Amino acid sequence: MASGSNGARRIASLMRPSLADSRVCRSCQETLVRRNYSTGTAQAAPETPSASSTSQSTVTTPVLNSKHIIQAGVVLSRPPQITRDLTPFEKSFFFYQKRLNERLVLPFTKYFYFRPKTPLDEDWKRKVKERQTAARDIGKYNAYSKDAWNDELLVGATEHEPENAMETLVKDAESIANATSQDAAKKEEVPKPAPRVTEADKQGDQKSLNRLLQRTLYLLVQTNEGYWKFPSSPVQTEETLRAAAERTLEQAAGINMNTWMVGYHPVGHHVYNLRRPKMDAASETQILGEKTFFMKGRIMAGQADLTKNEQNLKDFKWLSKEEIAQYVLPQYYSNIKNMLPDR
Amino acid sequence: MAATESSRYLARSLPRAFVRSPRPQHLCSRRSNSDHAPSRSLSDDLNDLESASTLTKSTPGPEVQSFDPLAKARSRKTQLPSSRYQYRSPKYDRGPLHPHRPPPPSDPSSRLFVPGPFSLPRVGQTWESTVAPDIMTLCYVHNPPGFKPPPKAPRLREWDDSSPYHKNRPLRGPRGGDVLRLLRKPITFRNIPKIERITIHSYVKNAAQGNSAYLHTAGMVVQAISNVRVQTFKSRASIPAWGLSPGRDTIACKAELGGENMQHFLGKLIDVVMPKIKDWPGVKATSGDNSGNITFGLEPSGVALFPEIEVNYDMYPGHMIPGCHITLHTTATADKDARILLSAMGIPFHGKVPRY
Repeated sequence: MASGSNGARRIASLMRPSLADSRVCRSCQETLVRRNYSTGTAQAAPETPSASSTSQSTVTTPVLNSKHIIQAGVVLSRPPQITRDLTPFEKSFFFYQKRLNERLVLPFTKYFYFRPKTPLDEDWKRKVKERQTAARDIGKYNAYSKDAWNDELLVGATEHEPENAMETLVKDAESIANATSQDAAKKEEVPKPAPRVTEADKQGDQKSLNRLLQRTLYLLVQTNEGYWKFPSSPVQTEETLRAAAERTLEQAAGINMNTWMVGYHPVGHHVYNLRRPKMDAASETQILGEKTFFMKGRIMAGQADLTKNEQNLKDFKWLSKEEIAQYVLPQYYSNIKNMLPDR
Repeated sequence: MAATESSRYLARSLPRAFVRSPRPQHLCSRRSNSDHAPSRSLSDDLNDLESASTLTKSTPGPEVQSFDPLAKARSRKTQLPSSRYQYRSPKYDRGPLHPHRPPPPSDPSSRLFVPGPFSLPRVGQTWESTVAPDIMTLCYVHNPPGFKPPPKAPRLREWDDSSPYHKNRPLRGPRGGDVLRLLRKPITFRNIPKIERITIHSYVKNAAQGNSAYLHTAGMVVQAISNVRVQTFKSRASIPAWGLSPGRDTIACKAELGGENMQHFLGKLIDVVMPKIKDWPGVKATSGDNSGNITFGLEPSGVALFPEIEVNYDMYPGHMIPGCHITLHTTATADKDARILLSAMGIPFHGKVPRY
């Protein structure tokens, strides 16, 4: 009664090029005893597994000799360099929590940090008189006054902006430097933090690695036909996926990059089917298309250089995830989007 | 068959939501005007929702811009007694049936309220955006579809029934020792190792001789670098050579860091302190307790490099600044995974990696 022994069905499975088998790699096919619907129902009968495995071994040698070209791709990325911008809600929330904290904690112990009758002490007294609190990021607020209940910001206030806290810190450091410096006439300058928006952002230079510091950037290359893609090339015989990925990167973007390949496993794949299968005269096989397996890489230093590339590429860009969607084909993007982190 | 069944139930349950029940649906015991509003429909409720998102800025109206709470409060002729506008939480929770229940600890009016978080630390963002995806890629193990791992031997062994006394005995522990190690599960997106908490522990040698100044300094230092109140400990062991007797002297202090404090501390440790320690090869690669927690020590000169100590170094007696042990507790269940995580976060390891 086992349907695996159904003669007509077995003949039919032999006749058609089996799609299910071509999707599983050869090593996987060898290691596991595959189960399709027929063997699934046949599991109950003790004698059928041997029968089904013999039928499988005949199916794995396809009648029509067709294949996809296996390609190795590299998703080379530069991780985010700075923290992300806070949302307006997060800014307001953190600020409110800071003021609540100011109301609840013990007061600042000045005598542990400032020796009396020193320039620093005088400077401290002046500053506290001005802003009424030890904290430099909560605006002018005294948690011990009668009006301490008024701890919420009004609409349109700017005290909760991180730029505001940064300005206060810089002003504070400058006044300390001025108070302690020997030369009273000379004004001390304190270096400010570097801006979060760089020159490359302002100029829209998409080849620079110094852009979009808050986001992950990915290396995309443009073929001579005009398509944008991750660097990729066919895997040669006797070559691992990782070795192929490293070779691809070297051939596509030059050796002027310090990179690290993350692990030995691909993070995603893209299948491209030709509209009309091509015959490969040398091996007498039908080529259905390409399967690209993407390896993950990180760039530490250097820059891509396409002048000596061997893969018919004409341009490269460092793009964030949203920008990639505007450059690559929709089908390509739907295949790669889930392997790219959101930030 | 199952599909038609569920759709039938769905069809039956759908109109129910739109029919007003004779009883009020909410569990609120208070009665207010809005409870008795004549036939509020679903669309009215939807209109009440705020259309503006918190992710964008909104433009305030004129009545909002002219609002001044301080001036309004000061212009009041008579002040209400504070009992009319101030809420004081009951001191004790007397159970769910008591009429006066304290608010939940997340409420600012609760006595247990602890403010925070105050920021989104860099270390946490780096883990989320860079380290976690990389660890998942690194630790991926490919199994073909349908692969079943070979059955493992039971972790606790049976007794061979060679003796009649084996009957009803509890199972034997694993070979080579009685400790059951933690199970190491394959790393997926659900269990990527992350740093759970950090313990800073400082044993103060000189505090055993009755000089508590050393312990006070150690407590101040650990508090300053960790932003957490320290706990102190008395000795439990009796070691005459060190002058220790159980329960006599307080000899150690400890701070447990979690959440935001932990992430800020780790950031300072990795980016500020560790690069400045002289002639330090890094954390020993053999360190660890076999279950994903890694400990290393800092000498007094290393502790003095923390920015909180450096800013007023003169205020601490120089010879009393303590060294400390720092334990990084991770959610990894094996030291190997914990080392991958910590080295990705930037902690240098040196020496030969132990084999398992």
